[in-house]
Amino acid sequence: MTATSAPEAALGVLPRADGSAKYSHAGYTVTASVNGPIEAQRRDEHAYEAHVDVIVRPAAGVGGTRERHLESILQSSLSQIILVKNFPRSLIQIVLQVEDSPENDYVNTKLVQASLNFAIMPALMQTAVLALLSAGVPMRATATATAVTIAQQDGAKRITVDPTPRDIETARSVHVLAFTSHDELLLAESEGDFTVKEWDDVYETAKAICCRSAPAKEGVAMVLDDEDASGPDMRQFLRSAAGAKVAADLHWK
Amino acid sequence: MPREAEPSLNEKQFVTQALQENLRLDGREFDQYRPVELTFGDQHGVADVTLGKTRVLAKASAEVTVPYADRPLDGVFTIATELSPMASPAFEVNRPTETEVLLSRLLEKTVRRSGALDTESLCLVAGQKCWSVRVDVHVLSHDGNLIDASCLAVVAALRHFRKPDTSMEGGVLTVYTPAEREPVPLSWLHSPFCVTWSFFGEEADIALLDATWMEEQVRVGSCTVSLNKHGEICQIAKLGGTPVDAVVLLQCTSVALAKVKEFSELLDKRLAEDLKRRDKGGFMAELRAENDR
Repeated sequence: MTATSAPEAALGVLPRADGSAKYSHAGYTVTASVNGPIEAQRRDEHAYEAHVDVIVRPAAGVGGTRERHLESILQSSLSQIILVKNFPRSLIQIVLQVEDSPENDYVNTKLVQASLNFAIMPALMQTAVLALLSAGVPMRATATATAVTIAQQDGAKRITVDPTPRDIETARSVHVLAFTSHDELLLAESEGDFTVKEWDDVYETAKAICCRSAPAKEGVAMVLDDEDASGPDMRQFLRSAAGAKVAADLHWK
Repeated sequence: MPREAEPSLNEKQFVTQALQENLRLDGREFDQYRPVELTFGDQHGVADVTLGKTRVLAKASAEVTVPYADRPLDGVFTIATELSPMASPAFEVNRPTETEVLLSRLLEKTVRRSGALDTESLCLVAGQKCWSVRVDVHVLSHDGNLIDASCLAVVAALRHFRKPDTSMEGGVLTVYTPAEREPVPLSWLHSPFCVTWSFFGEEADIALLDATWMEEQVRVGSCTVSLNKHGEICQIAKLGGTPVDAVVLLQCTSVALAKVKEFSELLDKRLAEDLKRRDKGGFMAELRAENDR
């Protein structure tokens, strides 16, 4: 159970897909492929916009209602940022394959009927955005996502970013928030009991992670302090992952 | 879903003629595999096999269930192969294609029917409780020779897999979580591997190993041989296509044995490396919960 603190990503990992990405963070590893715009089936065809098809496949077992639920959430939020009006009557297909998810050492899991955890959402979202970037699908903004839990501990409430399965089990509420690169809230999903005040706190925490405008940082010590305080800077990460891929592609051999 | 574009007549002729002149498009020998890579994940039972541009991921998992009524002493063992649109947009979700059916059938025959996994050892309480072991095969990228890559991935995942330890005391079954007791490996009897030959030419006299997707679309027939490193053949499948001379088939099986020995060595080496990587501080021998046979 080594949950890496820094997210890792690789773009263009699958040779045959239009775009692909592999992303791992907080114990979750997801590979995504994007094909599109391609020919849509008659039943999926929209006259004025592209149909965004999201398929989530669990690592073990067959997908059930939970996977369909995640798919529908992702589908509606990704349709918001992809310029779907540019490709009428076509299909943009996003396949998300979960490779690894953190296990709870204290519980024996049921596996034949896969039930993906809510907290996998940010990893799925992030991988999908990276794969879309890699496929060159036009988007109006990129998106960054994070998961936050609130737990009641010794009378005080504690906010945890990127929770482990153990954190989720003990938490009172789990929240997944995503922001676009224009600092707009794209997705807010919550599970459990919480007050409006708590949600505001969660919003601030998530926004700090997703929408940190990278200032010119001076000195290593300051950077380290910053990381410890509020988790990784997702937007900077997304930018550097895409930047590294472009630099590698344009490198004259 | 859009259909996969078939190679043009020119492309087909180019491949066949080059083969007649003893050349493959990628410059390999006829009986040479593309570079095989095998890696294991952080969890137990995740194997990732790369064969050129073909990439297959297999994940083994286990849970306690009720055994089938007609086989009260056996555990349940299933191999699930579902080709997702990730491999090619031509594959549709929940609609198996012929490739998928053939692949799952061959894996079933090779790994399950050959008794590679001792299903009796999966029984916990006769007729009431048993382990259900499941292997999910995910094809991430399809560039020919799915069968050999998937078989290697399945066998590697199962040999790498650890199931939770159990104990029976006074009729009470306890399943220990990973935090309580170190999980134990499956009782594995032998490791079968698939070797697929593709045949070309009017008389099917050219035989290729590890055909790419392009070559697979042009071939006139194929034959899959499954065997273990001791040369015990589990199955031979030649499903239609141009008839092949018996002598050619015999030659194919003898070459297949050499390839299977290479696979076997590679798997043993990677498993040993992985064990070493996990064994930090050298406590693994003490933590082990299984008994030596």
